[in-house]
Amino acid sequence: MAITKKPYILITILGVLSALAILLYFSFNPERGLLFPKCPFNQVLGIHCAGCGSQRAIHDLLHFRIIDAISHNVLLLPAFFIVSQHFLTKNGILKGTSILHYRYAPAIILLIIVLFMVLRNIPGYPFEYLAP
Amino acid sequence: MENNQNMPARPSNYMVLAILSTIFCCIPTGVASIIYASKVNEMYARGEYAEAERASKNAKMWGLIGVGSSLLIWIVYFAIFGFALIGGLANGNY
Repeated sequence: MAITKKPYILITILGVLSALAILLYFSFNPERGLLFPKCPFNQVLGIHCAGCGSQRAIHDLLHFRIIDAISHNVLLLPAFFIVSQHFLTKNGILKGTSILHYRYAPAIILLIIVLFMVLRNIPGYPFEYLAP
Repeated sequence: MENNQNMPARPSNYMVLAILSTIFCCIPTGVASIIYASKVNEMYARGEYAEAERASKNAKMWGLIGVGSSLLIWIVYFAIFGFALIGGLANGNY
């Protein structure tokens, strides 16, 4: 298999941007202040989408508050694991195939996202834990 | 898997882009991207490689639109509020 030349400039730019983003999300709490953009979907339609709460969850994760992160967005941690597993297997660091290459993986992920989005907008007892 | 020799490389389904844009920005572009991603996997599994390739292109397009617009929103937002915030930080209240 031919080894393709990787676009190092792009990787460097992405690395620097991620480092800045991590610093930013570590230093400031998205719950307060105006620094972080609000979810445009939420602003326009007034309902929680599947990604709502992820900025707060990232802030929590960077401070090792796992429970708070889960309460802000249940799907952020699983998403993080899936993306990591994908990159590790793709680059041969981890053995096995990427979860995302399984035939029904995207369909199942889509189902989970849609279900999550519907459930977290239902007011009342069991569902309010899913809201951001 | 009857003809392993003739199997072309799996086209990327761009699920990572799709997941990132769903988390950080826009559920509509994210969902569009995931639908095409599932089409990529389905068509590839069925052996319809040209279809899979086409779905892969669409998945890439929607994924890039999603990630691009989330970056854009972030930058525009920061340009508007960021400087006000840095001013506030200098005064010790944020």
